[in-house]
Amino acid sequence: MSDDRSSIANRAVSPSPEEAARESRHEVLRELLGAYADRELPPETVAQIDAHLVGCAECRRSLEVHHALRARLAVEPPAAASPAFRARISAAIDAAPLPAAPRIAANARLAPESRMLWLVASGWVVAMILALVLAVTSGSASRFTPSTRALAAPVHDVPLLGAVVDDYARVSRGDLPGRARDLDAVRAAVSFPVEPLRAQNLRLLAAWTTDVRGEPAAVLAYRLDDRLLVQYLVAEDVFFQHPAIRAAIADHHLLRAADGDRTVVAWPDSSTGTVLVGNVPTESLQSIWRSESTR
Amino acid sequence: MATSPAADPAAELRTRFEAVVMPHLDRLLAFAIRRTDSVADAEDAVQEACVRAWLGFADLRDEANARPWFYRILRTVLSDMREKSGRRQQLVYITRLEDAHDELVGGEHDALFSEVVARLDGEAVHRGLRSIPEDFAAAVELHDIDGFKYVEIAEIVGVPIGTVMSRIARGRKLLAGAIMAERGAAASEARSAERRTAHGGPR
Repeated sequence: MSDDRSSIANRAVSPSPEEAARESRHEVLRELLGAYADRELPPETVAQIDAHLVGCAECRRSLEVHHALRARLAVEPPAAASPAFRARISAAIDAAPLPAAPRIAANARLAPESRMLWLVASGWVVAMILALVLAVTSGSASRFTPSTRALAAPVHDVPLLGAVVDDYARVSRGDLPGRARDLDAVRAAVSFPVEPLRAQNLRLLAAWTTDVRGEPAAVLAYRLDDRLLVQYLVAEDVFFQHPAIRAAIADHHLLRAADGDRTVVAWPDSSTGTVLVGNVPTESLQSIWRSESTR
Repeated sequence: MATSPAADPAAELRTRFEAVVMPHLDRLLAFAIRRTDSVADAEDAVQEACVRAWLGFADLRDEANARPWFYRILRTVLSDMREKSGRRQQLVYITRLEDAHDELVGGEHDALFSEVVARLDGEAVHRGLRSIPEDFAAAVELHDIDGFKYVEIAEIVGVPIGTVMSRIARGRKLLAGAIMAERGAAASEARSAERRTAHGGPR
């Protein structure tokens, strides 16, 4: 059987337009051979590859490699978790709080010693513990659904939130003052950790630093579908300054607020606080927070 | 008096968690073992993932998605561990591995091709998976070993499905290239040993 591609390679003269098109098709189709082997392609593409394989030895060999690796890895035996290890996991889960709200999951990311320090340093957390104890002893089904607390006061009565909402309005009117690739520079510029949010359809667009009422803040802008979201990260002492924020977090782990069309959610992490703002329904922001809490 | 699970929401939740998540423990442990330096590290990672999964269990909307959800949590734990330990994967020359793959599939040496394909069925695959970049190895393993579809891998890894397609295709190429390169290194070592023997051995 003749091999079309070999005949092209062996010819010293310039390829004809037909041959060039065949070569170009080969370049495209060979990148799809993995998905072809995995049956992840639509029928029309499969038909194109079927036809191409007839005349291309290189792609046939490549496909053979895909099949051989797939077959080899498919029989890879799973590890066997020992009874002792299963018991260890059971004990660890027994020792963990009930999954009453995602904020608890965020706390679990802290090292035990830093978590204890954080709890001791924050007297308001007593209220959170009491709320948890009450939830555990009440036996109500509602404790398994995440709850939030709407800010009792207008956004501008809380200086941090007012400043953030004003800055969001300014930023969303003009060009974003940074790029996604500036993230490392932003991390180097502030004293607290900066981790981008991760959620479905959420893409980091830009990162920069600013100051919020004289305090350093890292700002990350995201695209959520076709809307702009902006996350302001500040140090935890700045985040917890205002009693309205402390009360909302202590009671319900997440603060939510609205200022006209703009919605705001805020939550603390191990050593920072996040204020997330956007012209989107509050539920969209809450679902990002939920994704974060299970990371 | 003992409380029946039906009457105790906490016990009921725990029973559901055991039923939905724990059956995947063996697979998760194997996945973690392939990405850590020791079984002990892998067990620590899986335990941490289980606790995080438990704490976030109330947010799992569709229990049919428990397996990819659990893997996503484990990947985050493993990533945190790598960051904490400062461990970086040894750099490999990707282009060299791709060249080795291209030589394998583009050449006319059927004997060589058969030999390398035969080598896929052995420990060489494990060494190859450890030697290629983690993103590619994870995508290949999630598909070929753990049996996830591309769309599920996209959800676990947090990248578009086109990226998954590309990582799996390129990952297998790199894996074959790594096995080919290892074969080349072994042959070269054997030739050197022969030369040393012919010249009376090392002095």
